[in-house]
Parts: sequence; structure tokens; C-alpha cells
Amino acid sequence: MKRALLLLAGLWLGVSAAPSAGAAQSGAALLTQGVRAYDDLEFDQAAGLLRRALAVQSGEALAPPDVKRALIYLAATELLREHRDSAVATSRRLVLLDPRFRPDELIFPPQVLTLYEAVRRATPVVTGRAPPDTTIHAGSEELAMRLYASAFHDITAKLVGEDGRAVRTLYTGPIADSLVLRWNGLDSTGTRAPPPGRYAIAVSSFDRQGRLARIFRVPLELVQVFGRIDTLPHPAPPADSLLWSERQPMGPALRALAPGALAGVAIALLPSVVASGEDASGARFVVGGTVTIAGIAAALSRHPGRAIPANVAHNDTLRAAWRRDVDDVARRNAARAREAMLGIRAGAPVVLTPEGP
Amino acid sequence: MRRALIFACAAAACVPAVAVRLHAQSRWEVSIGASGAREIVRSRPASTRERRSGLVFTGEAVATRGRLIARLRYGQGHVTADTGTPLLPRRDVVEGEALVGYKARPWLTLWVGPHARTFAVSGVSDRRWLFWSGRATARGSLFPGRVESFVELWQGFSGRLSRPAGSATGRGAEAGLELRLARRPLWARLAYRIDQGRVAGEPRETVEALTLTVGYVPLR
Repeated sequence: MKRALLLLAGLWLGVSAAPSAGAAQSGAALLTQGVRAYDDLEFDQAAGLLRRALAVQSGEALAPPDVKRALIYLAATELLREHRDSAVATSRRLVLLDPRFRPDELIFPPQVLTLYEAVRRATPVVTGRAPPDTTIHAGSEELAMRLYASAFHDITAKLVGEDGRAVRTLYTGPIADSLVLRWNGLDSTGTRAPPPGRYAIAVSSFDRQGRLARIFRVPLELVQVFGRIDTLPHPAPPADSLLWSERQPMGPALRALAPGALAGVAIALLPSVVASGEDASGARFVVGGTVTIAGIAAALSRHPGRAIPANVAHNDTLRAAWRRDVDDVARRNAARAREAMLGIRAGAPVVLTPEGP
Repeated sequence: MRRALIFACAAAACVPAVAVRLHAQSRWEVSIGASGAREIVRSRPASTRERRSGLVFTGEAVATRGRLIARLRYGQGHVTADTGTPLLPRRDVVEGEALVGYKARPWLTLWVGPHARTFAVSGVSDRRWLFWSGRATARGSLFPGRVESFVELWQGFSGRLSRPAGSATGRGAEAGLELRLARRPLWARLAYRIDQGRVAGEPRETVEALTLTVGYVPLR
């Protein structure tokens, strides 16, 4: 009986130990077996082993350097199996994973190197890494992030809000091998820091035809460490009630014209009012015409519509004072922004492909 | 006629003396002026029409204190029959007014007082119109302190005609332009005047005039 119990215990231990040995084989071991099969020119077997190695998702998954190694071996294997499309797709996957990766020229044959180089040049993408947690004086210090490009192409880098709205454009232009992207902590006005919250640095890569190819996105969380990020409102422009009329109004001219015109008309009508039926002489037209002309001359002497230099100067003074106040507020806001400490926490970057690979 | 002329000359001579005395009281403003007018007189005795014209020269004096104002005018001349009108005797014309007024507004003055006009023909008794009237004068400034337009309307509320004797009604108007020279106490006026007197059941008489007046303000 005791012997039987020992046998059962031995069997149970053996069954328990078996799965861990299998999992270790499906990780780095599969990669090793795949590479060995590639070296033995057993390409079909190598392809299967390498795909299995890349498919492992558990704790025994390949480390990032091994993933890149598995991908380049798989691309070479597929090319040598004359599966060119599969080789291209695998190479593109590797470029997106690490745009700076280059295959070992001593290991892989020239046709593999040529294929990978062609895929790399046709796959515009950048990668980079931001400091995971940093603090800067907004306006006077900078967050620096180095970008690496797969090939020479045009990019646009923006700080965007959660809703995708651009807060500030950081860079627009070409990138060759690498580029240092800098942000001083201020928004597009250049005078204030954006309010605390979730943002992202989005780097859009464009192909040779100018079409958006990929977006490299680094999530950022902005926190206010100390100081004031909020800004003073700009002063309102001078109210209309404070501004003087810059043109001579029509009122005085009309008030000068009215007595002349009314008296002129009245004089012409006097005979019909006072002595209807009489043939009045033309003397009334002489006097009435004279009075009317005098009224017109009086109206014109008021120069309706002409600029009033003194009022223009007064209004210019008010507007200049308002502009000075606006500039002063802008300066004070900039000073506040400079004094504010901005905490920046960067998340894990992702590469988005809008139209697929 | 001669008596009236003597009275007019005496009145004109007295104005400067009165002005000097008023100057001592300082709140008075006095203005004197002389005018020449071409008058056209249209008469309708019975069914006929008569038209005469001629020159009439007038002197005037205006005294103002606060809102109160007084105006005296006296003029004389003669009118003769116009060409084309049947031969009519020449008429001497003597006319005058004595008004007191009140400045209800800076632009409005109300007047009351008598005015009269006499036509004299040698060998015939005088024909005199006498009215007690109320007037209103409105003024408007074209160039402030320099040029004003004015319109004056009057309505007689009591009147008499001496020949043929009877009560009369009348009304009239005067309007024109008044100019004051800058920094000089001189002024001028161009005006058109028309008035008409009627007697019930009798003919009417209409007088038109184009007047040019120059004046002096000895006291301001």
C-alpha cells in the first residue's frame, strides 16, 4: 500500500512538471529551433517554428529583441520559400516595430537585405520615446523627445487634446534619420500652458505622394505642479460711448440748412397766404432765393462728413492705451506661464496605420 | 405831411441821445437803421384796378431789455402810376408802426401795437389805414451770430379806414435775411414784405415791398 502511494505521488509530480517544460519550448526554444532549421535550409519547418515562437503570448513570450530576430528570420525564410508577399508583410511588421532595425549582412543573403531595404524605404514611420515623467517650467524649459525615422519623409508633429483638437504644432517638415522634437509647455498662443489633462503628441508620417501613411502617438498627461497656469482676460476694447465722432455729423448742417430753406419756401408762398388773388411781383423770388442760397452755404460751411482731427487723435489715444493694456496682460500671462511648473507623464507609444499596411 | 416828417426827424435825432442814457444802465440793447424800399401798391376801388409803385425810405429803432423789446418805424415816399395804367395822380405815402414785443423763445418774438399807412393826394383828403395788430416773428440762425433768416406774420384785430370811413381788416407778412458784421456794430437786412387791408363791402389795397436796410447798434 505504501509503495502504491509513493507511485501515485511520483506520477502526480511528473504530470505537474510536464506543462512547464512544454511552455519553455514554445518561447525562446522555438526561436532557437526555427533558426537552426533555417540554417539547415529546412525552410518549411523553420517558418512553422518561427510563427509559433512569435505567437506565444504568455509569460514565455519572446523578449523584444527576440521578436525582431524572429521576424527577420521569418522574412528571410518566406523569401527563400518564394513567398514574397509574406516576406514583404513580415518585413513591414519589423519596420513598424523598429524603424532603426537593420539585418545582419553576415547572416542574411543579399536578396533578403535588398527586400528589407526596399520595404523600409516604402514604409514611412517614426518612433521615439519621451521621458516617462518630467517637470518643466512652461515657457522657459522644454520637453525633448527624439524621433527616429525608417526613411527620409515628411512629418507633422502636434500636441493634440483628447478630442483630437490641435493645441500646438511642434514641427512640420522632413525627417531623415532622427530628429529632436521640443515642446516648451505653451499652447499655440505662446503665452500660456494648456490646462491640466490628457493630451498626446501625434506625429503624422506622409508618403511621397503626400498621403498620410502612419501616426506615431505618445500619450501625455499634464499636471500642474505649482504656480498659476490660468491667465488674465484681455481688456475689452474702448466702448463706443467713449469714442468721439471722427466725422462731422450731418445734424449741424441740416440745422443750418433748415432755417434758410424753410424761410425761402415761406417767402415764395407769402402772397398766396396774405393776399390771395393778387398778382404778386417777382421780388419775393429774389429774397426767397437769396435766403435759400444762404442756407445752403451755411450747411456746406459745417463740412458734413469731414474728418475731425482732434477727435481722431482722441480716439487714437484711447485705442493706443487699450493696445498697451492688451500687451501688458499678454506679458503678465506669459510671466505666469513661465513661473508655472508643468508635470508631464508620457505613456506607451503606439503606431496607427489609417489605411492599413 | 410836413408835420410827420418833422416828427420823424426829431425822433431820429433823439435816438443817439436816448442810447447814451441807456448805455449807463448797460442791460439795454439799442439798434437803429434806415431802409429803402421799392413798394408796389395795388388798389381796387370799385371794379377798377390801380397799380402804383415807388420808393419809400424808412427809419427804425429797436430797443431790447431782457425779454422785452420795442420797435419804432417811420417811413415816407411816394408812388406813381405804372406804365400801362390809366393816368392816376401821384400818391405820397407815409407809414409807421409802434410795437412792443416779448421774446417767448430765443427764436420767437410776439408783438402787439398799432401801425398805420396814409396815402395823400393833393386836393383830396388823406386815405389812412390804421390797424392794431398782433405779430409773431420767428428767427433761424444760418451762421450763428452772423446771419439769420426771419419770417414775421401779423394779423390785425382792429382796424379803420379813414376814407371811405369804416372798420377794416388786414394782415401781412415780412420775411428775409439779416446779416451782422463781425466785430462791428453794423447790420443789414434784405426783406420781402406784403400786406393787405380790406373794408367790408369795399375794395382792398395790397402793398408789396422789397426792402434793403442798413443799421447800427450803438448800444449792446
